[in-house]
Amino acid sequence: MNSNIENFKYDNRVVRAFAIATVVWGIVGMLAGLLAAVQLFFPDANLNFQFISFGRIRPLHTNAVIFAFVGNGMFMGIYYSLQRLCKARMFSDWLSWFNFWGWQAIIVAAAVTLPLGMTTSKEYAELEWPIDIAIAVVWVAFAVNLFGTIIKRREKHMYVAIWFYIATVITIAVLHITNSMEMPAGWFKSYSMYAGVQDGLVQWWYGHNAVAFFLTTPYLGLMYYFLPKAANRPVFSYRLSIIHFWALVFLYIWAGPHHLLYTALPDWAQSLGMVFSLMLIAPSWGGMLNGLLTLRGAWDKVRQDPMLKFMVAAITAYGMSTLEGPLMSIKSVNGLTHYTDWTVAHAHAGALGWNGFLTFSMLYFLFPKLYNTKLWSIKLANYHFWLGMLGIVFYVIPIYVAGLTEGLMWKQFNKDGFLQYPNFLETIVQVVPMFKLRAIGGTLYLVGVFMMAYNLYRTAKAGQFEPDTAAQAAPIEKTVAAPGKSHWHRVLEGKPMFFTVLAVVAVLIGGLVELIPMFLIKENVPTIASVHPYTPLEVLGRDIYIREGCVGCHSQMIRPFRSETERYGEYSKAGEYVYDHPFLWGSERKGPDLAREGGKYPDAWHFNHMDDPRSTSPGSIMPRYSWLLTQQLDKESLPARLNALRKVGVPYPVGFENGPAQKDLEAQAEKIVANLKLGSVNCETNKEIIAVIAYMQRLGTDIRSAATATSVTK
Amino acid sequence: MIKNILCNIDGIGIYGLISIGIFFSFFTGMLLWSAVLKRNYLKHMAELPLNGGEKNSNETFNGEKL
Repeated sequence: MNSNIENFKYDNRVVRAFAIATVVWGIVGMLAGLLAAVQLFFPDANLNFQFISFGRIRPLHTNAVIFAFVGNGMFMGIYYSLQRLCKARMFSDWLSWFNFWGWQAIIVAAAVTLPLGMTTSKEYAELEWPIDIAIAVVWVAFAVNLFGTIIKRREKHMYVAIWFYIATVITIAVLHITNSMEMPAGWFKSYSMYAGVQDGLVQWWYGHNAVAFFLTTPYLGLMYYFLPKAANRPVFSYRLSIIHFWALVFLYIWAGPHHLLYTALPDWAQSLGMVFSLMLIAPSWGGMLNGLLTLRGAWDKVRQDPMLKFMVAAITAYGMSTLEGPLMSIKSVNGLTHYTDWTVAHAHAGALGWNGFLTFSMLYFLFPKLYNTKLWSIKLANYHFWLGMLGIVFYVIPIYVAGLTEGLMWKQFNKDGFLQYPNFLETIVQVVPMFKLRAIGGTLYLVGVFMMAYNLYRTAKAGQFEPDTAAQAAPIEKTVAAPGKSHWHRVLEGKPMFFTVLAVVAVLIGGLVELIPMFLIKENVPTIASVHPYTPLEVLGRDIYIREGCVGCHSQMIRPFRSETERYGEYSKAGEYVYDHPFLWGSERKGPDLAREGGKYPDAWHFNHMDDPRSTSPGSIMPRYSWLLTQQLDKESLPARLNALRKVGVPYPVGFENGPAQKDLEAQAEKIVANLKLGSVNCETNKEIIAVIAYMQRLGTDIRSAATATSVTK
Repeated sequence: MIKNILCNIDGIGIYGLISIGIFFSFFTGMLLWSAVLKRNYLKHMAELPLNGGEKNSNETFNGEKL
């Protein structure tokens, strides 16, 4: 035993700052979600104000709850637990505050740019390149602070929670950098370096693992710390937690392609995603059972302590979501659930139950500790728990029903072999009542959060904030173990950097196994001779489509099912997307797929539909886009856009952007204006709607023109 | 047989065989490792969160000392 006891202090200030930010951004993010939810049954709730229309507010909601609410919650929990597990103050107070303010600045930047339509359109990675760089810088500061603390720790061994934190830090950095490789075309516009199928694979490798390593692994680490702490007993099986960790970080990264089943992604990648998703049940349930069994003999405490109630419900939600996810990854199940609201229900069961409830649990634990008092009202916290539960039930059940209804109606044929519901609108009108119920569920959940905010505020008012907690521990003894005496795995764990390298290798294997063949083996993306780059006007139209977040409701990927080819046309091929930077396959259908939209309707129909969707499609829940009819098309930026696209591989001739592109644009715009006149619509060539119509009419026509040419030759 | 199946999947080349090798080695190694861990070590590790080094332990449940 070392008698050289050292005195030091834990930093509570930064923990409190992150805790307050968690509550504030949680409310903001959920309000944005509620606004989006209301627009799904009352489209005019955006007041015809473009900055809060569904397509722009949805990414704001997802980014706010993931990165602002859960992100701050994660930092709060890590900054509190890491210091105590390492028996050391954070490595640098300056870095802690840089991490805090940097993260808040990024959130504010997101809250400004997303409503302005500055988006890459890649889900959960929508922020544009300058913010991406800021995220990388702040994340590196967090990593340095975390590793610095681990290195100067006074506890020889690294508890399993720290392993989860290390895996989070490293993997998120790798995912963020790889998926954010983009070519700037101005300060707030960029094009993904990857195109089509490759972009899709990289995006969902990222998207799936953002769920894994931002919403799951750090929170599992926090569960392994806060649950024993609250129950005042060690975790049920430490051995199981080790297996949980290694199996989870190794398997998770392979499962990304399950977001792209039945798409143009090569079949081997889809099967790999499905098989690894099913394997994930084992470590996930191992972790859930380890958590729940920790409470064996302590269930009486769960009755009394709202913090434990939230924790138990969160762990159960984790178990349910991690069973449901793999089931949805089975190709035949996915054929029914993909693109439907089932996915939304699945995401929210995890987000509201696992992340939300675990965050609330930590907040109820931390506030009394930080303010050296007891919780102001246990009764109010219990009401919050039951209201939150009710909110989740009212949210997910209607949306599961909606998802199932959509999936079944899309696939229903009548006895003559025709689609029973050929008009997509029929299937949406059917589920609108479910959207209303969902908004009620969301409101209940949000009311609970307001109750918690008040409870925590009163707790803080009643207590005295403790900026630092005095602690003492002996430094690690520097002893040299005789060869063969020390178990090799303890040696590994005593060397955090070596441990980190091993964790990185385990995490990277799955990614590399999928990405390398996809990029190196040519037959994965067969080219189609008739597929050509977009015209300049179509490029501008596509960028407006991205700005308005159309991809949030419209897929551009027809799966090879008869129900889809009957409804939309020939199924989508990988070679059709080779110039799509970024890919716009989408993951949700609140409106029909648009992959073969070109030529389906006259130009004037699109004009009227954008002005007021209900004038052409009664009952539609699409927002009005009347501003496209009045706003000037940004032709000035065309050279920068074409130049950037050329740099990422689109074969525009050199010099095309200086003259020929503009002539091409004017000619195409005039043609559309003439077409509009035929439909009794008058519009100038320099309006945004003209570019959007050009893009719409191009969609999916490349292989159709090839087919026509072939039949003419025959 | 496994080699035959893996080598006949279009679009993956040799990577399928390499992947399955890595997969089995990883899990065999990890399970063997976890199997030989000593009981004392596991007990010590599991108790780490319960001793945070605070001078005045405030391990309380709503203000009451546990």
